[in-house]
Amino acid sequence: MSSSRIASRFAGLLVILSGVAVVALSDGRWTTDEASASEMVDPSVMRGRALTMHHGCGDCHGGMHPAGAGWLAGWRDSTQTFIMGPFKTYPRNLTPDNMTGMGRFSERQIFNALRYGLRPGETPDVEITSNTPGQGNFPVNPKYLAPPMPWPAFRHMPDQELRDIAAYLKRGLKPVSNRVMDSEGPPDFWRSAYTVEKIGPYPAAAYPTAQEVAGH
Amino acid sequence: MTRIRRPSLTILTAVASLWALPALAQRQVEITLTATPARMALIPGATTEIFTYNGQFPGPTLELREGDRVTIHFRNELPEPTTVHWHGLHLPFKADGSPFHPVGPGETYDYVFTIRPGTAGTYWYHPHPHHRTGYQIAKGLYGAIVVRAADDPLKSIPEKVIVISDNRFTADGAIDLPASLSPQGTIDQENGREGDVIFVNGKVMPTLTIRAGEVQRWRVINASAARVYRLALPGHKLLHVGNDGGLFERPVEVDEIVVANAERVELLVRATGAPGSTSVFQSLPYDRYIPQTRPPQWNEPRDLLTLQYSHEPAVASVRIPTKLRTIPVLDTAQSTAKRVMVLTQGMINGRMMDAARVDVSAPLDATEIWEVENLVGMDHPFHLHGFQFQVLDRNGVREPFRSWKDVVNVPKHGSARFIVRYASYSGKWMFHCHILDHEDHGMMGILEVKPSQLTKRN
Repeated sequence: MSSSRIASRFAGLLVILSGVAVVALSDGRWTTDEASASEMVDPSVMRGRALTMHHGCGDCHGGMHPAGAGWLAGWRDSTQTFIMGPFKTYPRNLTPDNMTGMGRFSERQIFNALRYGLRPGETPDVEITSNTPGQGNFPVNPKYLAPPMPWPAFRHMPDQELRDIAAYLKRGLKPVSNRVMDSEGPPDFWRSAYTVEKIGPYPAAAYPTAQEVAGH
Repeated sequence: MTRIRRPSLTILTAVASLWALPALAQRQVEITLTATPARMALIPGATTEIFTYNGQFPGPTLELREGDRVTIHFRNELPEPTTVHWHGLHLPFKADGSPFHPVGPGETYDYVFTIRPGTAGTYWYHPHPHHRTGYQIAKGLYGAIVVRAADDPLKSIPEKVIVISDNRFTADGAIDLPASLSPQGTIDQENGREGDVIFVNGKVMPTLTIRAGEVQRWRVINASAARVYRLALPGHKLLHVGNDGGLFERPVEVDEIVVANAERVELLVRATGAPGSTSVFQSLPYDRYIPQTRPPQWNEPRDLLTLQYSHEPAVASVRIPTKLRTIPVLDTAQSTAKRVMVLTQGMINGRMMDAARVDVSAPLDATEIWEVENLVGMDHPFHLHGFQFQVLDRNGVREPFRSWKDVVNVPKHGSARFIVRYASYSGKWMFHCHILDHEDHGMMGILEVKPSQLTKRN
C-alpha cells in the first residue's frame, strides 16, 4: 500500500515536472492545446481509461467506447437490463455525478467495490485488509454488487490497476446525471452467491492447483 | 401555588397565582413521568413484557399551551439508562433528552423548558439513548404532546389524537427483536424494523365515532420505527391543515397524506357519510424500500381504525377558515452557510455517530441551508433536534407552501433542502435518520451551536 502511494506521489511529481517542461518548451514545437492537456493528465487516469476499455466496462455500463454516447453513464434502455433468476439488475452510472453516479464516493470506495464487490453506498469508506466479515474493516454483514458485475474476476487485478480505474471514473469523466433504478436482488445482497466455495479465495490459490501444471 | 394531583395522568398542574400576575402570568406546569416495566395484554391470547410511562401504553398525552413554563419530573425505573426526548420542541440543550444526558436506572431528571410562542402543534416524546432508542420504543415508550395556541383558528373543532405504531411479536407474545445477524435481523437493519401488528393509541383497529356532518381534527403521529403511512379515508376528502410544527397558512384538500417516521400531520375529516355507516381509515401502499429487502406484502393496504357514524341525524358542518395563520419566512438571502449531508446506508457523510466529535459547528442565531443527499435506494427521514426548519425543495422541486418541519423524508436516490435558524439555544444537537435501526447503528451526527462572544461576556 505505502509503496504504491509513494509511486503515485512520484507520478504526480512527474506530471508537475512535465507541466513545467511544457511551459519551458512552448516555442512552437508543442503548440496544440490537446497536447498540453494530455501532458497534464495523471498517468493513473490514462491507465484507468485503457483498463475500462479493454475490460469492456462500457458493454454493460454504456457507450461501448469513450467517444460513444452514454459512455459509462449507466442504464438507458432494456438492452442493458440483466435477468438474474427472479431479479432484474441494472448497470449503475459510473460517471462522477453527485446524485446519480460516483461523485460522492471516494476512489477508495470504488477500489473496495472492485476488489471486494462491496456496494459503495452501504459500505464505510475505510481501508479493508481482510476478506473475513468483521475483521480488518471487512463488514460484518457485507452487501455485494449485483451480478453480472464481474468483480470476482476483477478483484485479482493488481491494486494499482484497480486504483487507476477508480481514478479514471472519478477524475477522467464528465458527470452525467442519469438516475438508474436500483438493482433487484435477494435480501442477503448476494452474500450466499459469493461464498469462497463458489468464487474461490482471494488471493487465488497457489499455482499450480490440481487443475494446473507448471507451464514451461 | 395550588397543586392538583390527577393520579390517572399523574400530571400536576400548578397555576401560579393568576390574580397576583394578571395577563402576563406564565402558567407553571409540572408533570411527573415515570418509566417502568409492565406486563400488558396487547394482542389476543398473550401478555407482553413492555416498558411504560406512568403505567400506560402509549404514555399519557401531555397537554401544553404556548407560553407554559414546563417542568417534567422524570424517574427511570427501567433496568437500563434512558432519556426522554421531546421530539420537535424548541427547548434548551439540557432539556432535549438527547444521548448526552442519559438517566441511569433509579435516577431522576427534571426537564425544564418554556413552550415558545408560535409553536402550537403536535409533538411526541420518546427515549433517545444511543444504540437503544429502537429497542425502548419497541418496548412501548412513546406518547403524544399537544401544544395549543390561545388564538387557534380551529379551536372549536373536536379533536382526536391518533398515535400510530407497529410491532411484531413472537409466538409466546414477547416483542420480537431478532438477533442482529439473523436473516430477519439483517432485514430489520436494512429496512428498519417493521411489525405486522399496527396499533392506534395502543389498540388494534379501534373504533372512532363521528356524527354525519361533523368535522373532526385529527392529530396523527407516526411513532413507528420504520413503517411509513400513506393515510387515506376512502370516500372522504381530507383537509390537510398542518404538520410537524403546527398549522399551515391555508388548508389543502387532498385524498391522501404520507407521514414518515416521527412526522405528524393535522387533518380535518368532514363526515360526508350517512348516519350508521362505517369507513376504514387506511394506510395505502408506499414504496420506501430498497428492492432487495422490500417486504412481500408491501403492496397491500393496511387498516388503521374504523370510523363509525352514529345514528343521529346529520348536523350542519362548520365553516373552515381559509386562512389559518401566518408563518414567518426564513430568507435564503440570510443564509451564511450551506451544509451538505450525504446519506449512505447507516452513515452521514461517510461517518457514524461519535459523541466526542462535532460534525457541524455554527454560531447561535445563524441561518443556514442544509442539503441532504440520499445515495441509497430507500427513503431516509432526516430529523434535526432543537430547531424546526422550512423545507425549500425535494429533488429540486420547490415545496408548494411554507410549513414548520423537524423531519424531512429524503426520497430514495433523491435530495431535500431546508433552511433553518439556530435560534435561542446553544448546545449540541443531534441530526439523524429517524428509522430507528439506522439511528441506533450510528446514522447520526452532531450540530454544535455556539453562543457568540457577546453572549459569552454577558
